[in-house]
Amino acid sequence: MSGTHASEYAIEMLHITKRFPGIIANDDVTLQLRHGEIHALLGENGAGKSTLMSVLFGLYQAEEGTIKKDGKEVKINNPNDANALGIGMVHQHFKLVECFTVLDNIIMGVEPVGALGFLQKKQAREKVLELSRKYGLQVDPDAKIEDITVGMQQRTEILKMLYRDNEILIFDEPTAVLTPQEIEELMQIMRNLAAEGKSILFISHKLAEIMAVADRCSVLRKGKYIGTVETKDTTMEELSAMMVGRNVNFHVEKKPAVPGDVVLEVSHMTVASKVHNNNAVKDVSFKVRRGEIVCIAGIDGNGQSELVYGITGLEPLVSGSILMDGKDITKSSIRKRSVSGMSHIPEDRHKHGLVLDYSLEYNMILQTYFESRFTKKIGFLRRKNIREYSDKLIEQYDVRSGQGSLTTARSMSGGNQQKAIIAREIDKDPEVLVAVQPTRGLDVGAIEYIHKQLVAQRDAGKAVLLISLELDEVMDVPDRILVMYEGEIVGELDPKQTTQEELGLYMAGAKRDEVKDA
Amino acid sequence: MKKFLSLLLTVAMLFSVASFAVAEGSSMKVAMITDYGDITDQSFNQTTYEACKAFCETAGLDFQYYKPASDSDTDRISSIEKAIDDGYNVIVMPGYAFAAAIVGTVEEYSDITFIALDVSEYDLQAAKGTDADFSWVYPSNLYSAVYQEELCGYMAGYAAVKLGYKKLGFLGGMAVPAVVRYGYGFVQGADAAAAELGASDVEIKYVYGNQFYGDADITAYMDTWYANGTEIVFACGGGIYSSAGEAAAKVGGKVIGVDVDQAAIIDAAYGEGITVTSAMKGLAATVYAELAAVLNGEFEGGKVENLGLVGDDPDANFVQIAPSTQFADSFTQDDYLALVAKMFAGEITVSNAIDVEPTVSIPVDYQGNIK
Amino acid sequence: MRKVLKNEAVQAFIASVICILLGILIGYIVLLFINPAGAGESIVNVIKNFFTWSRPASQMKQLGNTLAKTMPLILCSLSILFSYKVGLFNIGTAGQYVAGACASLYAALAWGWGWLPCVLFAVFAGAFLGTITGLLKAYCNVNEVISGIMLNWISLYLTNTLLTNVKETASPYTLYLDKTNPKALLPTLGLDTLFNKNANVTIAVPITILAAFAVWIILSKTKLGYELKATGNNKNAAKYAGMAQNRNIIMTLAISGALAGLAAALLYLTGYMRWECTQSSVPSMGFNGIAAAFLGGLHPLGAIFSSFFIQHITDGGQYVNTNFYSSQISDVISSVIIYLCGFVLFIKLTMKKILANKEEKKGAK
Repeated sequence: MSGTHASEYAIEMLHITKRFPGIIANDDVTLQLRHGEIHALLGENGAGKSTLMSVLFGLYQAEEGTIKKDGKEVKINNPNDANALGIGMVHQHFKLVECFTVLDNIIMGVEPVGALGFLQKKQAREKVLELSRKYGLQVDPDAKIEDITVGMQQRTEILKMLYRDNEILIFDEPTAVLTPQEIEELMQIMRNLAAEGKSILFISHKLAEIMAVADRCSVLRKGKYIGTVETKDTTMEELSAMMVGRNVNFHVEKKPAVPGDVVLEVSHMTVASKVHNNNAVKDVSFKVRRGEIVCIAGIDGNGQSELVYGITGLEPLVSGSILMDGKDITKSSIRKRSVSGMSHIPEDRHKHGLVLDYSLEYNMILQTYFESRFTKKIGFLRRKNIREYSDKLIEQYDVRSGQGSLTTARSMSGGNQQKAIIAREIDKDPEVLVAVQPTRGLDVGAIEYIHKQLVAQRDAGKAVLLISLELDEVMDVPDRILVMYEGEIVGELDPKQTTQEELGLYMAGAKRDEVKDA
Repeated sequence: MKKFLSLLLTVAMLFSVASFAVAEGSSMKVAMITDYGDITDQSFNQTTYEACKAFCETAGLDFQYYKPASDSDTDRISSIEKAIDDGYNVIVMPGYAFAAAIVGTVEEYSDITFIALDVSEYDLQAAKGTDADFSWVYPSNLYSAVYQEELCGYMAGYAAVKLGYKKLGFLGGMAVPAVVRYGYGFVQGADAAAAELGASDVEIKYVYGNQFYGDADITAYMDTWYANGTEIVFACGGGIYSSAGEAAAKVGGKVIGVDVDQAAIIDAAYGEGITVTSAMKGLAATVYAELAAVLNGEFEGGKVENLGLVGDDPDANFVQIAPSTQFADSFTQDDYLALVAKMFAGEITVSNAIDVEPTVSIPVDYQGNIK
Repeated sequence: MRKVLKNEAVQAFIASVICILLGILIGYIVLLFINPAGAGESIVNVIKNFFTWSRPASQMKQLGNTLAKTMPLILCSLSILFSYKVGLFNIGTAGQYVAGACASLYAALAWGWGWLPCVLFAVFAGAFLGTITGLLKAYCNVNEVISGIMLNWISLYLTNTLLTNVKETASPYTLYLDKTNPKALLPTLGLDTLFNKNANVTIAVPITILAAFAVWIILSKTKLGYELKATGNNKNAAKYAGMAQNRNIIMTLAISGALAGLAAALLYLTGYMRWECTQSSVPSMGFNGIAAAFLGGLHPLGAIFSSFFIQHITDGGQYVNTNFYSSQISDVISSVIIYLCGFVLFIKLTMKKILANKEEKKGAK
C-alpha cells in the first residue's frame, strides 16, 4: 500500500507529552497509523487515550512531540485544522440531530449550495448512495434519525466522515451500544473501509473485538506508551497484561448461590415510555430471592431503564404490582422504598447518581441526609457526623479523590464516582440492591472490584438485581439471566449452561420462550 | 418648535430690556428641578426649562437643572437640597408632584426662593396635612402659580365650533383638577358657540387616557372616534397628542394642543395644518415674571396665585389660545379679541367647578377612562 | 499568591471588582464620546454619590437615603439568588415586589394597620404570588420565567387598580403615609439620628441584614438548604434521592416571593416614595436584584455589598453634570455599570482559564 504514498504512515504522533497540573496525561507516547490499516488503541480509563485523541484533534497542544501527516510535520491548533487534514471521528455518543433525516445529518455543515443559496440535495444524495454502496453501509437517506436503529445511526456517523472525504477515521468505543450481530456488521464495515485505503483508529478496551478486527494494537497505561503489537502475534492475555500491568482474572470468582426467600416480586408490570406512545415495559413478572444475583440482559433501549424506573419509583406503573419483603410497594414513594430497604445504583451516575457540584461528603449522604444522625431536629445538618461518615466510606471503599470528603464530585474520575455511589448504596445495608450497568465506562480494575462487591452482597444474603448490557458481565456475574426484548422478558437462561451466541439470539429477538413468571 | 422658540425669545427680550438691564454681579443663581418627566417632554418640564434657560442666559445668571433619582418625594427633596448645597438660591419647580417636596424644604431654607408652577393650594395643604381647614400660612419665600385652565379651554372649544367643527372630542391626560378644568371649559365654550350659531348638531365625546402620553391603546381609541365622524380632538395632557395626532392624520382629522403652542411639534409629526389651535397657559410668562421679580428685588411670596386674564390683550394674559390658531372668516382674530375682552369684562363667565359636569345644552358623551 | 487566587471566594471578589472597574471605564468612555468637557467630573460624581455634597451632615442624610433604597435591593437580590441556587430563575421577583408594595400600602392606607402587620401582609402577598409561579412550574411545567413575566404585569396593573382606592384625588400618587396613618411608618430605632435625622433609615436595616444571614444559614447549614440546592444542581438526582421535588419548587418560589414582598414593604413603609397609580412599567428594583445577586457572587452576604454598590451608583447617576449631559445620560451610565456587573461569572471563568493556562505552562517547564 505504501507505494502510492509519500510515507508508510498516514498519521504519526511521535513522542507526544502532554501535562496537566499534577499529572502527566501522555508521557512520550508514540502512535503510528499505517495507510489502510485498522489500528487499535487500548488502555484503561485514565490511561491517556482521550488526551492523545484530543491532541490529534487540536483540542489540546502537546508540550513535546510532533505530529506528521504523510511524513510531513503538521500543526493542529484546532479541530478545523484536523478536519482539513482529513481526520474524522465517530464519537461514543452520536452527534446527530434527532429530527433531521439521515441525509440532512450527513451534509450538515457542508451543505452543497447553489448560486441562489438553495440547497442542492440531489448531488448530495447521489454521493451518499454511492458511498453507502461502496462500503456496504446500508442506510435510508430519508429516514429520520429518531426512527432508525442505533446501528444505522452509527452508519450515518460513518457516512458523515466519508462524505467529507476523511482519510483517517477514529472510532471511539463504537461497539458499546450494539448487539452482537450489529458488532459483527460494524467489523465488516471497518474491514471494507480499510480495504479501500482508509486508515482506522479503533479505541476500545474490549480485547475480543480488537483481536478480531485490528491489524495492530498500541497500548497505553497510566499515560505511558507500553508498546505496539501485531494482533496476529499476540493473545488476549498478553494484551490485558500490557494494559493493566498485571494478570487480570476475567472470571468472577464466586461460590454457588444459595437462594433464600423471595425479596422482590414483580408481577405483570407495565411501564409507559417517555419517548413513544407504546409501553416500554409490557406485562413483566419475575422474582429475586435472597442470596442470588439476577441479571436483566438485553440490548440498550429494550425497556430495561423503564423497568428500573418502575421498580425504584422514578416512574409510575401503568399496571402491575411490586412486592418487597411481602409488602406491596407499588404506590410507595421513592423515599419510602429507599428507607424500607431498596438500594439503587443508577444507570447514569451523572444524571441520577450524583449531585456533581456537591462535595463528596454531601453525595455520600444523598439517600440518608434526613436521618437523625445527619440532621438535627430543628433542621440543621450535623456537619461533623457527615464528615466522619464520609471519611469512613472513603476509607472502607477506597474512593480516591483530590481532597477527600471535600472534593467536588465533578472533579473525580468516573471510576471513583461509581465507587462512591456503590459505597453509599451498599452501606445502606439494603434488602434489594438494584445495580444498573454498574461498570459502564470503567476500566478493568474497577470492574473487577465492583463485581466482587456485588457477589459479596449476594453472599451476605441480599437480593441483587443487575441490569447489564455487557455480554461478559452478563455471562460472568449473575446466577440467573433474564433477557429483555422490546419490553418483555423473552428468556430465562442459566449462565453456566448458555453461550454468548444463544444469548445474542434472545437479545436480538430471534429466539424467545414463554416466560410468564421467572 | 421654531415658532415656539421665537416666541420665547421675543418675550425674553421684552423682559430683559424692560426691567433688568444690569444683571451682572447679581448673586442670583437659578436651579430647576424636573418632576417625574424630563426636559424633553414637550410640555411642562421643557417649557419651564427653556424659559429658565433663556432668562438666565439673557440676564447672565448661573442656571442648572436637576433630575431626581426617582419619582419620589424623598428624591425630589434631595434634588432641591442638592441644588441649594451647590449654591443655587432660586428653585423653580414645575408640576403638582412637588407639593410634598416643597412642604418638606421651604420652611427650613427660608433664604431660598421657591417658585412653583401648577402646585395648587389643595396640593400644598394636603401635603402639609392641613387640607381640612387650609390653615397653613405659606412662608414668604414660596410662590406658586396655578392657572384658570377653564378659560383657555373655553376659548379653544368656542373657537373650534366657530371654525365649523361639529363633532368634537376631548382626550384628557388624567382626571387631575387642571385637566378637568380644561375639559369642562372646553365643553362650555363649545356649547356657547353652538348656541350663538344656533347649531343643533354640535356634540362632544369626552374621555381620559389615564396617562400623560400616547400609546397604541389610546391611538386605537382615537381611531374609533375619528372613524365614527369625530372631526377634531382636544388632546389635553403632555404628550398624549401623539395618539390623537396619529389617528387624525390617517383620516384628515384635526387636533387641538395644550399648555403651550403645540402646533409646531404636532404639525411636524403628523402633517402641516393638523393643529387648529392650542389652549395655552403662560408657564413661560410666569417664569419670566417671577425670575425678573427676584432679580429686581420685587419678589412677593407667601401665596398661591390663580392666574388668568389680566386685560384685553391676549398676549399679556396667562391663559390664551395660540397665536398660530387657524383663524378664518367664521372666527377671525378680531372675533377672538372680542371674546377675550368679553371674558375679561365678565360678560362671559366660565364655571371652574370640577366636581360636577357643566350644564350645557349640546350632547356630551362622557366615556370615563380608556384604561 | 496562586493559592489565594484559586480560592473561590477570592475569585468571586476579584471578578466583581474587575466588573465594576470595567463598567466605570466604559461609562467614562461613553461620557467622553458625548462631551469630553464634563466627563471626568461627571464620572467622579457618579462614584462619589453622596460625597458630592458639601456638608458632612448632608452627606450622612444622603447616605441614609441610599441605604433606605439599598435594603429592598438586598432583599430582591436575595430573592433572586435563593431561587437561582435551586435552579429557578425567579424573574417574577419584580412582580412579587409590586405585590408587596400593594399589600403593605393598602393595609396601611385603607385599613389603618400598624407597621408590623403591614410588613407581614406584604411578605404574605409576595409569597402568594411566588407560590402561583411555583404551582404552575411544579404541576403544569410552565417555565417560571414565562409565568413570572406574565405575573409581573398582572401584579402591576392589579396594584395600580387597587391602590387607586387609596390615592390622592388630585394626583396619581397614593395618600401620604405619615399623614394618613403614621403608625404604619417603620420605626427608626434611633437610626435616623445617625443620619442627620433621616427618618428613611429604619428598622428595615437590621431586618434586611438578618434576612441575608438567614438565607445564608438556610442555604448552607440546613437540611432544607441541602435539599433545595440538590434540586437546583441536579433535579434528577434529587428525585432519585426521594426528595419532594414539587414541594421544594413551590417552597423555593414562595420564600423567594416572600423576600421580594418584604423588600417592597421595607421601602414603601418608610414613606420614602408613594405609589404612582398610573405607572406602566414594573419598578426596576426587582430587576436590579438580578445584577446585585450576580455581582455579589450569588452569595447572600455578598449581596449586601453588591446591592449597596449598585444603589450607590444608581443614586450617583443624578450627579452627572446636566450642563454637559442630558439627564437621561445618568441612567445610561448607571445602567452600563450595572450591566457590566452581570459579567461576573464570565470574568470568573476567564480568570480560571488564565490561571489554568499559567499552571499548565508552569507544569511544562
